[in-house]
Amino acid sequence: MFKNFAKYTVLTTIGIGALLPLTQVHAAETKRQNIVFWHSMTGQNQQAIERIVNEFNASQTKYKVTPEFQGQYVEALPKFLSVGGTSKAPDLFQSNEISTKQLSTSGMIEPMQTLIKKYKYNTKDLRKNILNYYTINGKLYSMPFNSSAPVLYYNKDAFKDAGIDDLPTNPTYEQVTEAAKKLKEKTGSAKLSILPYGWTFEELLANQNQTLVNNGNGRKKTATEATFNNKAGKNILNWIKTNATAGTLVDFGTGANAGDSEVSAFTSGQIDMFMNSSASLGNIKKNAKFNVGVTYLPHPEGTKANGVVIGGASIWLSKGKSTKVQKGAFEFLKFATSAKEQAQWSIDTGYFAVNNKSYDTKLLKDAFKETPILAAPVNQLKATKINAASAGALITAMSKERVNTQNAMENVINGKDVDSELSKAAKQTTTDIKEANEQTGE
Amino acid sequence: MKKDKKGQLASQNLLAWSLLLPSFIILGIFVFYPMVKTFILSMQLTDLMGNPIKFIGFKNFLNLFNSDSFGTSFTVTLIFVFFSTTLTLIMSYLMAVLASQKMKGIALFRTMFSSTMGVSVTVASILWLFMFNPQIGLFSKILTLLHLPQINFLSDQTWSLIAIIGTTVWMNLGFSFLILLGAIQAIPQDLYQVADLDGASWWMRLRKITIPSTSATIFFVTVVTLINAFQTFGQVDILTSGGPDYHTNLLVYAIYQDAFVNHSVGRASAQSVILTIIIMIFTMLQFYVKNKKGAKNAN
Repeated sequence: MFKNFAKYTVLTTIGIGALLPLTQVHAAETKRQNIVFWHSMTGQNQQAIERIVNEFNASQTKYKVTPEFQGQYVEALPKFLSVGGTSKAPDLFQSNEISTKQLSTSGMIEPMQTLIKKYKYNTKDLRKNILNYYTINGKLYSMPFNSSAPVLYYNKDAFKDAGIDDLPTNPTYEQVTEAAKKLKEKTGSAKLSILPYGWTFEELLANQNQTLVNNGNGRKKTATEATFNNKAGKNILNWIKTNATAGTLVDFGTGANAGDSEVSAFTSGQIDMFMNSSASLGNIKKNAKFNVGVTYLPHPEGTKANGVVIGGASIWLSKGKSTKVQKGAFEFLKFATSAKEQAQWSIDTGYFAVNNKSYDTKLLKDAFKETPILAAPVNQLKATKINAASAGALITAMSKERVNTQNAMENVINGKDVDSELSKAAKQTTTDIKEANEQTGE
Repeated sequence: MKKDKKGQLASQNLLAWSLLLPSFIILGIFVFYPMVKTFILSMQLTDLMGNPIKFIGFKNFLNLFNSDSFGTSFTVTLIFVFFSTTLTLIMSYLMAVLASQKMKGIALFRTMFSSTMGVSVTVASILWLFMFNPQIGLFSKILTLLHLPQINFLSDQTWSLIAIIGTTVWMNLGFSFLILLGAIQAIPQDLYQVADLDGASWWMRLRKITIPSTSATIFFVTVVTLINAFQTFGQVDILTSGGPDYHTNLLVYAIYQDAFVNHSVGRASAQSVILTIIIMIFTMLQFYVKNKKGAKNAN
C-alpha cells in the first residue's frame, strides 16, 4: 500500500497541474454572472430569441444569459414547478399566459413589481393592455415578452375567383358564413375551419365583452364559477353549428397537431378561412403562395366588437435569487423589451412588439409599409377596449376549462345540441374551478 | 461437524442475499417506492406542485366514479384493449402462418410483414395522421373515389376510436408477427408429414398442430400486447389528444393529463391505482387460464 504512495503523489500532482489552467478558464468565465433562462421557443422563434440573448451578452461584460430550451409551455411548467424554490431553479422562466394564476400563487416567483420599484423602472412604454393581463391586484407579476392575439386569415385570391368581396377589417359571423357558403358553391368543398379549441372560444367570448368566469374574470378576487352559459356563448356555438350544418366547415379535430394541420391546409390552399394566433403570421406569410388577407376576430351582427385577450407568454423571475442575479436578470428584461429589440422580434416572429416605442422605429414602420397585413393584429389590439373581458380570465383550472369548451365545440360540430353542450361545459368548469381552489387553499 | 454445516448454511444465505440485493435495490427505488407513493397520493388532496396537503380517504376515487369523463375513459379503454389485442393477435398469426410457407422470395414478405417494428410510435402516428386528414388524406381520397360520404376519422366519436385501434394494430403487427413466426418455424416438420399421410386438410393441420404447438407463444404475445394496449399514449396524443369529448381518452393519457397538465396529482394517482388493479386482474386471469391448460395438457 505505502509502497505506491510516492507514485500516487507524483501522479496526482501532475494531474492537478495539468488541470489547473482549465480552472482559470472557468474562473474567467464566472466573473460574469451567469443567468439561466428557460424558454419554450422553437424553430424560427428560437433563433429570434437566441439572437436577443447573444446581443445582450455582447452588449455588456457583467452578465451572461444562458438560454435553455425546456420543451413546450405545457412541458416546461411542471419542470419549473418541481425545481422552483431550490437552487436548481432557473433565474428566468418563460411561461404562457394561462399559467399566470398558478405561478403567481406558487410562492416560487418574485413579482416583477419588486424589481420595478427597486430599480425605479417606468413601465409607461409597455403596452397597457398587455401589462393588464399580467397585473394582479395592481402588481405586475411577470414581464410581457412575446404577446399575440387571434386574427382571421383568408385567401384573397380564392375570394376573387369565387367573386366575393374582400372581408371588412372587422367582420361579423354572418359575413364569414356568407363567404364560406359562396366558396362552397364555387368549389364544391368546405373552405372554413373553426378549430375546436378552448382558446378560440375564450377569445370569441371576450370579443363580445363577456367574462369567462365571475368576480371580474377572477381578477377582483378568486373566481368561483363559470359565467359563459349565456347569449354570447350560444352565439359562438350557433355560428359553428350553422357552418357545420351547411357543410362549409372543415374539422381538424383536437389532436396535438391539429393546429399545424390547419395552418398547412391554409397555406396549401385546402381551406380559405380560419382563425389563429397572430404569431403564425410570419410562418403563413412565408409559405403562402397567394395574397393573404388578415382581419380582426369576427363578432356577431348587432354586437359591438370588444377586442381580444392577449395570448402568448411572459418572463418570470425565480424567488430567492441573489441581488446580483436579480439585477442582471432585470437588465436583460429591460434589454429584451426595449423598442429596438421588440421591433426586430416582432418582424422575425409575428408576435406584437410589447413596447409602444417600437412602432415609431424605422425598422417596424418599413416592415408595415412593405407588408401591410402585419399591421392588422396591432390595429386590432389598439382598438381593443380595456375591461374585465379583454383582460382575460385568471383561474388555476384554465387547462380544464379549455378541454370543457373544446368538447362542447367538437360535439356541436358532430351535431349535438348547443344549449345542453354549453350548460354542460359551464357546469363542469365550475366544478373544476372549485376543485382547483381547494387545491390552492382559496 | 454440526457447527460447520450451520456456518456453511449461513454463508450460503449471505451469498444468496448479496446476489439478490442489487435487484432488490433497483426494484425498490424504481418500482416499489413509486408504487407505494402513488397509493398514498391517491388518498390525498395535493397542491399544484403535487405535494400532499391533507388526507381525504377515498374522495379522489369517488370523484372519479362520479365524473362522466372518467366513465368514458374507462369504457373506451376496455373497448380499445379488447379490439387492439384480438385484432393484433389474429392478424399477426395469419401473417405468420402465411409467411412460414417455403416459397421462393418469402424472405421479402417476411421483411415487409415485420417492418412496422422499425417505426417509432411518433413516426407511425404522424404517418396515420396524414392518412386520416379530412381533405388530403388517403382514406378521404378513397371515399371520394368510391362516391361515399366523407368521414371525419379523428373528430367523430366512434371513428376516432377505430382510427386509434387501427393505428395501434398496425404498429403492433411487426413484433407479434416475428415472435409468432419463430414459434411456427420451430414446430417439428414430421408432425405435418404424419398429418399429410392421414390426408388432413389445411384447416385441420392449423387447428390440431400449429395452434396447439404455439400456444405458449400465443400466450406470451397476448400478455405483452394486452399490457402494451393498456399503456397506449403516443398515438392518442398525436392523433386526437383524447378527444372528441374524451372518446379516445385512454387511461394512461388521462393520467398524464391530470398529473402534468391539470396538476391534480391526487386524482392522477387514484387513476393509476385503478389501472394497476385492472392490469393485475387481467394478468392473474391469464396465468390462471394458462395453468389450467398446462395441467390439462400434462394429463
